[in-house]
Amino acid sequence: MSGLFEDFDDIADLAEGLDDPVPGARIMAVIDLTDSADPAAIPHLARAIADEDAGVRKQAAQGLTDFDGPEVAAALVSALTDPDPAVVAAASVSLTELKDPTSGDAILPHLGDANEVKLTACLAGIKELRRPEAMTPAVAALKHAAPGVRAQAVGVIGWLQDETSLPALQEAAHDTDVNVRRTALAAMGFSQSEAAQSALIAALTDPEWIVREAAAETLAKSGGPSCIPALRGALADDYWQVRLKAVRSLGKLGATEAAMEIAPMMDLPVPNLRKECAAVLGELAVPATASYLKKYADDNDPDVRKNVRWALERMAA
Amino acid sequence: MDEILDGLTQIDCDILVIGGGTAGPMAALKAKKKNPKANVVLLDKANVKRSGAISMGMDGLNNSVIPGYATPEQYTKEITVANDGICDQAAVYRYAQECYGIIQELDDFGIRFQKDQNGEYDVKKVHHIGTYVLPMPNGDTVKKALYRQLRKARINIVNRYMATRLLTGEGRIAGAVCVNTRTAEFLVVRAKAVIMGLGAAGRLGLPTSGYLYGTYENASNSGEGYAMAYHAGAGLANLECYQINPLIKDYNGPACAYVAGPMGGYTANAQGERFIECDYWSGQMMQEFYDELQGGKGPVYLKLNHLAEETISEIERVLHIVERPTRGHFHKGRGTDYRKQMIEMHISEIGFCSGHSASGVFVDEHARTTIPGLYAAGDMANVPHNYMLGAFTNGAFAGLDAADFIADVDFAAFDEAEVEAERTRVLAPTKRDDGIPPNQIEYKTRRLVNDYLQPPKVTAKMELAQERFEEVREDMEQGMYVRDSHELMRALEASSILDCADMAASASLYRTESRWGLYHNRVEYDRDDENWFCHTILTKGDDGKPAHRKQEVKPYIVEIAEDEKDAYNNQRVGASVAAE
Amino acid sequence: MPLAQTATTVPVTVNADLCIADKGCTVCVDVCPLDVLRIAETEDGSKTAYMKYDECWYCMPCEADCPTGAVTVNLPYLLK
Ligand SMILES: Cc1cc2nc3c(=O)[nH]c(=O)nc-3n(C[C@H](O)[C@H](O)[C@H](O)COP(=O)(O)OP(=O)(O)OC[C@H]3O[C@@H](n4cnc5c(N)ncnc54)[C@H](O)[C@@H]3O)c2cc1C
Ligand code: SF4
Ligand code: SF4
Repeated sequence: MSGLFEDFDDIADLAEGLDDPVPGARIMAVIDLTDSADPAAIPHLARAIADEDAGVRKQAAQGLTDFDGPEVAAALVSALTDPDPAVVAAASVSLTELKDPTSGDAILPHLGDANEVKLTACLAGIKELRRPEAMTPAVAALKHAAPGVRAQAVGVIGWLQDETSLPALQEAAHDTDVNVRRTALAAMGFSQSEAAQSALIAALTDPEWIVREAAAETLAKSGGPSCIPALRGALADDYWQVRLKAVRSLGKLGATEAAMEIAPMMDLPVPNLRKECAAVLGELAVPATASYLKKYADDNDPDVRKNVRWALERMAA
Repeated sequence: MDEILDGLTQIDCDILVIGGGTAGPMAALKAKKKNPKANVVLLDKANVKRSGAISMGMDGLNNSVIPGYATPEQYTKEITVANDGICDQAAVYRYAQECYGIIQELDDFGIRFQKDQNGEYDVKKVHHIGTYVLPMPNGDTVKKALYRQLRKARINIVNRYMATRLLTGEGRIAGAVCVNTRTAEFLVVRAKAVIMGLGAAGRLGLPTSGYLYGTYENASNSGEGYAMAYHAGAGLANLECYQINPLIKDYNGPACAYVAGPMGGYTANAQGERFIECDYWSGQMMQEFYDELQGGKGPVYLKLNHLAEETISEIERVLHIVERPTRGHFHKGRGTDYRKQMIEMHISEIGFCSGHSASGVFVDEHARTTIPGLYAAGDMANVPHNYMLGAFTNGAFAGLDAADFIADVDFAAFDEAEVEAERTRVLAPTKRDDGIPPNQIEYKTRRLVNDYLQPPKVTAKMELAQERFEEVREDMEQGMYVRDSHELMRALEASSILDCADMAASASLYRTESRWGLYHNRVEYDRDDENWFCHTILTKGDDGKPAHRKQEVKPYIVEIAEDEKDAYNNQRVGASVAAE
Repeated sequence: MPLAQTATTVPVTVNADLCIADKGCTVCVDVCPLDVLRIAETEDGSKTAYMKYDECWYCMPCEADCPTGAVTVNLPYLLK
C-alpha cells in the first residue's frame, strides 16, 4: 500500500514547487518543506520568505518557526522590514521561538536598528538566547523613545542576570512607562544586592499599583532583613493585591516583627488577602497572633478556614 | 474519499505505538532514541500533527514536580490522599522523580514554559502543600514541537487508521488490527511490543447540550483504548472511579481555575463565595460541587469579576488563545464578560480518564499492562491524576521499557481467524441495506449512561442500565447500518462506547462501598476500608462479560502518617452524603 | 426503513474566495481530528473545502492552520 506512512520526500523535489507560477501552489510547497522538519529545507524557505506573494512570504515566516540556527534567524530578520504587516508579525513570533544561541549571530548586528518594529522583534528574539553581547545594545535601547522597545530591552537584561546591569535596571525602574517599570523591577529578582533592594523599596511607593505589586513580590527573592520595614509599610497599601504580595514576602523573609500587623488584616473583607495572611501567620508562627486566627477558624471561606487551621497546627507544633 | 473499499495489508514492526496524541509521540521518540535500529510505527486515527487532547495546545502543566517547589515525596503523598489511598505509589513516585527531566526535554524541543523576568521557571502555587502549576504562555506550540521531533527522528507515522482490536498469541502481545477511516481498508500490524496511548473514554456520558461531540475530552477519544484492552484480556483498574469535571456550562470546556487561581480567581457559589474545601481536583471536590448545587446555593460560577482589569486581561489572554481557543467566541456569543459577570459552571457528564481521576488500564511503574509486551500510558492508563506531564513521562517509561522488551523476543504467532472475525465484525454494518445509523446507537447509549450511571449511583438504576445496554447491543450487532467509511468509523466508535458503558455499570456495581467522593458515590453504601481498601480489576470473563477481582494496594513507599491523613480530612466539610 | 434527511446547521464555514483547494491545499481536511471536512467541486468547477459532517469539537486547528484565513469556526448551535 503506497502512501501508508507519512512521506520523507526529497527536499529538492519539494522545493521545485516554489517555482510554480501560482502563489497557492507555492504556499503548498512551503507547507511541505516545513513539515519535512529537515534542515535542508531552510535555504528554500529563506528564498520563499522573499517571494513576490505576501501569502507565500507569511507562510515561510511561520514555517521557519520549526527550524533554528543563524541562517533561519537571518531570513527572519530580513522579513522584519517586509511591506506586509502580517509577514512582519509572523517573523517576529518565529524569532522568539529560536533556541540555538548561535542564532543570535544573525540578530546581534540589528540590535541598534532604527526601525522600531524590527528592533523590538530583535530584542525579543535575542532574549532567550542569553547572549552576553546583547547587554550593551540592550542598555542603549533603554533610551529608545518607544516604550515597547524599552520593555523588551529590560527583558534581555533580566535574562542575562548580570550584576553590572543593575544601574541600568535601576534607571528603568524610574521609566515613564508603567510596563517598563514593572518589568525592570521583576528583572532584579536575581540579585540580593543593595542596589536592587533600594530600587525595589523605592518602588513600593510608585503611583501605579501594578508597579508596587511587582516590587512587593520581587522582594521575596531580592529582599533581606533591611527591606522589612518598607514591606511593613506596604501592608497599608490601598490595593489588596499589593498588600497580598507584601504579606507573602514578609512571610518569606521570616519577618516575625510584622506578625502583629498582619494579624488584624484577617478582619478585612477580601478573601484572597485573608487566605494569604493566615498562611503567612502560620509560617511566622508568632503565638500572639493565635487569637486572631482562632476568630476565623469558622470563616465563611473554606480556603481561609484551611489556612487558619494549618497555621494553628504549626504554632502548636 | 469515504467510499468503502475492500483491502487488507499486513506490515511488521518492532514497536507499534497506537495514538499519536501526547503519551504516544513521547513513547515513540524514547523507544527510537534508545534503540535507533528499532522499527517504530506511530499510528493515529486522526493526524498526528493536530491530534489528541493537546491538539491546540495547553495553558500549563498542572502537576509539575520541580526541585525547590515540591518534592516527589510531597507529590506522592498528595496524590495518594486525593485518591483516597487507593494508589500503587511506585508509578506515582517514579513520575514525580523523573518528570522534571521531561520538562527540560520538552523545553529543548521548543515547548515554552513560563519563565520569570530572569528566565527561571515561574511555578504557581495552587495546592495547599506543594506548588505544582507551571504555566505555558506559548502552549500552542506544543503539538508542533512534538511533531517536529517525530519527523526528525524519522518515526514512521501512519495517519487516519483506527485501531480496533489487539492481537495476542503465545501469552503476549502480537499486534493490532486497524481500519482506514476514509476507505475502510484493513491494516494488520504485527509487532513485538505495542504501546497504547489512545486517550480517555471521552464520549461516554452525553453532554447536557445534547451535542455528541460537545465533550470535555477531544471527541476523537471514544474509548477504543479501554475496549481494546478489555477484549485482549488485559486488566482494567478502578473503572468505577469515573471522571467528572467542573466545567463551563454548555461550552463544556475547562474553567481553568488552575490558571485563574494563582491570579486570584476562584470557583464560587451564587453568593460569590468560595465553597470548595478540597485542594486537589478530585472526586471529593466534585462532591462538594454537587452538594452546593443540590443545597440550593447554586449555580456555581467561575468568579473573576473582583479582579482588576489588568489581571483579567492577562487571564483572558491565556485562556482564549490556547487549549480551547473557541472559549472567547463562546463568551462573546453569550455576551458574558469576566469583568462584569461570574461565569456559570456545571458538572460534566461521566467518562473514563486517569489523567483527571484514576480509571484506566492497569499498569505498573514501567507502564506495563497485565499482558506481556503491551503497554499503556496517558489518560487511559491507571496512574492517577497524571494530566499532560504524566502522559509525557509515563509515555517515556513505556517507550524505554518496550525498547528493551523487543530485544529478546520475536513476533508472537496469533490466530489468523482472529483477524477474519474482526473483519466480519467491523464490516457487518456495511453489508446491510438499511438499519440504524451509528449516531442513533451512540446517542441512545450515552443518554442511558446519563440516566442511569451518572452519580450518585443507585443499584437498581445501574441494573436497569445493564438491561438497556443489552438491548442496544442487540440492535447494534444486528441492525447498525453505515453508508460510507466515515460512518463506519463512527459505528466502530459506537461499539467502543457501548463496551465502556457496560464496564462502567459493571465496575460500579462490584464495589459495594462509596469512595472517591462523587466519582463513586453509591448512596446505599458507606466507605468501607475493611473490605474495599483495594483496587478492583476488571477483565473479560469467560462468558464474554466483565469479571471482577480485588487486588491489594501495594505497600506505600512514602508513608502517610495518621495525623497527615487527619490534617487533610479535617479540612473537608462534614460530608452530607454517604461518601465519607 | 429508509433514512431521513434531517437538516443541521454546521459550525464551520469556508470562504470560497480565499480557499486555495484548487492548488492542492487540503490542510484543514488533514488536520481536523474529527475528520469532518472535505473538498468539494463548486459549480464553476473550482474546488473548495467545506464541512461535510456535523461532528465538530470546536477545537480550531482547521482555522489556525489554513494558510489563507479561509476557515471560520463557530460554536455548534446546540451549545452556543
Ligand atoms: C480541554 C482539556 C484541557 C486540559 N488542560 C490541561 C492542562 O491545562 N494541564 C495539564 O497538565 N493537563 C491538561 N489536560 C489533560 C491532558 O491534556 C491529558 O491528560 C493528556 O494530553 C492525555 O494524553 P494522552 O496521550 O493520554 O491522550 P491524547 O493526547 O488525547 O491522545 C490520544 C490519541 O489517540 C488517538 N486515538 C484515539 N482512538 C484511536 C484509535 N482507535 N486508533 C488510533 N488512534 C486513536 C487520538 O486521535 C489521539 O491522538 C487537559 C485535557 C483537556 C481535554
Ligand atoms: S486549509 Fe484553507 S485554503 Fe486549504 S483547503 Fe482548507 S479552507 Fe481551503
Ligand atoms: S473545529 Fe476542530 S473538529 Fe471542528 S472542523 Fe475544525 S478542526 Fe475539525
